[in-house]
Amino acid sequence: MSTFTLLIAPRFLGFRNSLRKSKGRGNAKILALCVGGLVFWAVLFFLFYKVLTYFSSQEMIGDILARHLLAMVILVFFSMLIFSHIVTALSNLYLSQDLELFHSSPATFTEIFLSRSFYTLIDSSWMLIVFGLPVIMAYGVVYHANLAYYLSLIYVSLPLMIIAASLGILVIMVLVRFFPAQRARDIIFFLSIIVIIVLYLLFRFLRPERLVDPDSFVSIAQYLGALKAPDSPYLPSHWATDLLWTRLAGYPGSQVLNHLLLWSTALALMVIDIWMAGLIYFKGFSRAQEAKRRSHVGRKILEKTVSALTRPLGPDTSSLIAKEVRTFFRDNSQWSQLLLLGALVVVYLYNFSVLPLERSPIKSVYLQNALSFLNIGLAGFVISALSARFIFPAVSSEGNAFWIILSSPLSARRFLWSKYVAYLIPMVILAEVLIIYTNYLLRVTTFMMVVSSATIFLLVFGIVALGVGLGAVYPNFKHENIAQVATSFGGMIYMISSSVFIALVIVLEAGPVYTILSAHFRGEVITRLQWVWIMGSFIVVIVVLIVAVKKPMAAGLKSLNRYEG
Amino acid sequence: MIVFKNLTKTYRGIKAVDNLSLQIPRGSIFGFIGPNGAGKTTTIKMMTGVLRPTSGSIRIDGFDIAREPFQVKKIIGLIPDRPFLYEKLSGTEFLWFKGGLYGMDRIRLDEEIPHLLNTFELTEWGDELIESYSHGMKQRLIIASALIHRPKVIIVDEPMVALDPRGAKLVKDLFKDKASKGVTVFMSTHTLALAQEVCQHIAIVDKGRIVASGTPKDLEKQAGVKGDLESIFLALTAGTTKA
Repeated sequence: MSTFTLLIAPRFLGFRNSLRKSKGRGNAKILALCVGGLVFWAVLFFLFYKVLTYFSSQEMIGDILARHLLAMVILVFFSMLIFSHIVTALSNLYLSQDLELFHSSPATFTEIFLSRSFYTLIDSSWMLIVFGLPVIMAYGVVYHANLAYYLSLIYVSLPLMIIAASLGILVIMVLVRFFPAQRARDIIFFLSIIVIIVLYLLFRFLRPERLVDPDSFVSIAQYLGALKAPDSPYLPSHWATDLLWTRLAGYPGSQVLNHLLLWSTALALMVIDIWMAGLIYFKGFSRAQEAKRRSHVGRKILEKTVSALTRPLGPDTSSLIAKEVRTFFRDNSQWSQLLLLGALVVVYLYNFSVLPLERSPIKSVYLQNALSFLNIGLAGFVISALSARFIFPAVSSEGNAFWIILSSPLSARRFLWSKYVAYLIPMVILAEVLIIYTNYLLRVTTFMMVVSSATIFLLVFGIVALGVGLGAVYPNFKHENIAQVATSFGGMIYMISSSVFIALVIVLEAGPVYTILSAHFRGEVITRLQWVWIMGSFIVVIVVLIVAVKKPMAAGLKSLNRYEG
Repeated sequence: MIVFKNLTKTYRGIKAVDNLSLQIPRGSIFGFIGPNGAGKTTTIKMMTGVLRPTSGSIRIDGFDIAREPFQVKKIIGLIPDRPFLYEKLSGTEFLWFKGGLYGMDRIRLDEEIPHLLNTFELTEWGDELIESYSHGMKQRLIIASALIHRPKVIIVDEPMVALDPRGAKLVKDLFKDKASKGVTVFMSTHTLALAQEVCQHIAIVDKGRIVASGTPKDLEKQAGVKGDLESIFLALTAGTTKA
């Protein structure tokens, strides 16, 4: 067995063993994960199938729109792949615990570097491949693609992944050369700049808002021109789009140049990475092992904030919350994820700011209020996604140090509710900012502003309780990386429960809100029976909310009380 | 001070602790020794409320750990064998956190923390994150944190793991000092020389059962061997270990 194969073997053996070991509940989890994944896969496929079928029915611009969408999807995937590789490479190449064992073995640096790069490629790419497939398959089905199209997916996606991996790894090697890996806050500062630049470029390339506003173009030719130019011919995603589109549309002509560009770039970047690794990888790794002094930047602000926030609470609760805040803001993995999610929030708000409401065929005032109402659900899902990543793992984040809590006189109830309070406040603030700012952009009525702010306020109580409670029902104190907890079986159960809860509240409120708004705009009087129904619906919402807070917290408490470390 | 009564813990049909009964007097240093897998850590986990006994009971200072866990937890200080800590807190912050869990107010913590950091020679590292500590420094910090609320009982699993000779002496002296002030120290260890040096009472446990207990003199009689604790230990556990 070659050294490279040996070095990558532990991951595969571990995966195989965990599959073999899983019995009963373990198998059920795998089955549930597969079913959940397939449902998501099917929904994505169906959505794209519908959109592409609609496009293909449009003369002249249908194919252009479909190609444009394909270019957008590939460009977004490619950008996400690069960023995902940057984040994963930092851990795989510099911070993983098993690196010490690897570097003390007689393997060469190149072998270690290549094996860790391989890990990075697998860790970063598998999810995008899995969830990219339904999109690509939808194209294949709608455009009746032949076998050559499906085969081309392999030789197109492989170099694209290698390019993204090589770029991501190259970026992280250069960053770590100048900043020790442990001081990842500095690295992440640079990463955040990269993310902002990538996002900016993405928006500048795509300019999606112009495409829904044909009036802003002087002529149809100009509009079609804008549709045709979603990306730059210098980007690998452009070469990949060209290759796939040629196969899809059955255009004649050779694509040798695009093939050559993709593969030569991938191989050249691999060579550059190996060469650069020889020069700087070990120096960076070595610096990462050195004990570092604590950075004083921002320390006073954090200390003062924590102290002020926790002062009114009892000593045990305030200690726990202060610990939670400190460890959160000092954990690199949390920071990097927070930045990614921050970028999503920016995009979310940006989308609202470019909505062409004035040109809508629907009466603007209806559309604004309808959008505002639907926005409650959207904001709820954003908070829910954030909670899946940060709140659901909150109990598991105690990790191996959970013995400190277990052996202390702090009750499980107080422990769990302290976690709840620690996460509830920032989530309420974020949710209200999202809702109030988007409502301001939509220029909604005062009634809608009150309803949406109050609803999201109440929703957050349930979303956070579901996160903390179910996080305690499905704890994993032996995780290597806290991000794994969010993607576990329990994480999936949380996302489903949270989505059902949000949908239920939205459905319960939809009728009453519509009735009140319609009466307001049409100058009608709401009947007594309608008032009874409206009040009844809101009471049911309150009951649902109470259940969503009490049940998961009680289940979490029961689970913690039963826990034997 | 500590009373075990028919304590049993079963994992999937295997008895990790089997009908253990013991009485440990107040102010003594008690050595709980045995080979690997003898049930020492399981016993400690039950004493600290981390594990629930399958049957039997543990009373500490009159409180039953199963019925009054919080009363017990308030008066014990646990020092585990592996120093798992919150790596992203500084040493001082960790002591604040630990003191807070035991309901200590700021005034008491302001007095206690500098004293403990000084005792365990961690003062200049107090503001550094725990992730930058050596293994031995983490162990010293854990011991300091176990003492912060002035426990009546110190429960310690392998106290000398990772400690240098200076640190080891510090801990031995500290245990002796605490015992002289009425604190009971329950110490599980493999280091027989340590047990011989500091423990007034010792129990040798094997396969979850106590094979001998008493003062070092009593153990000599039970084993029928004269000499150091190592010889006694080997004589008492030889049959079972071979099996």
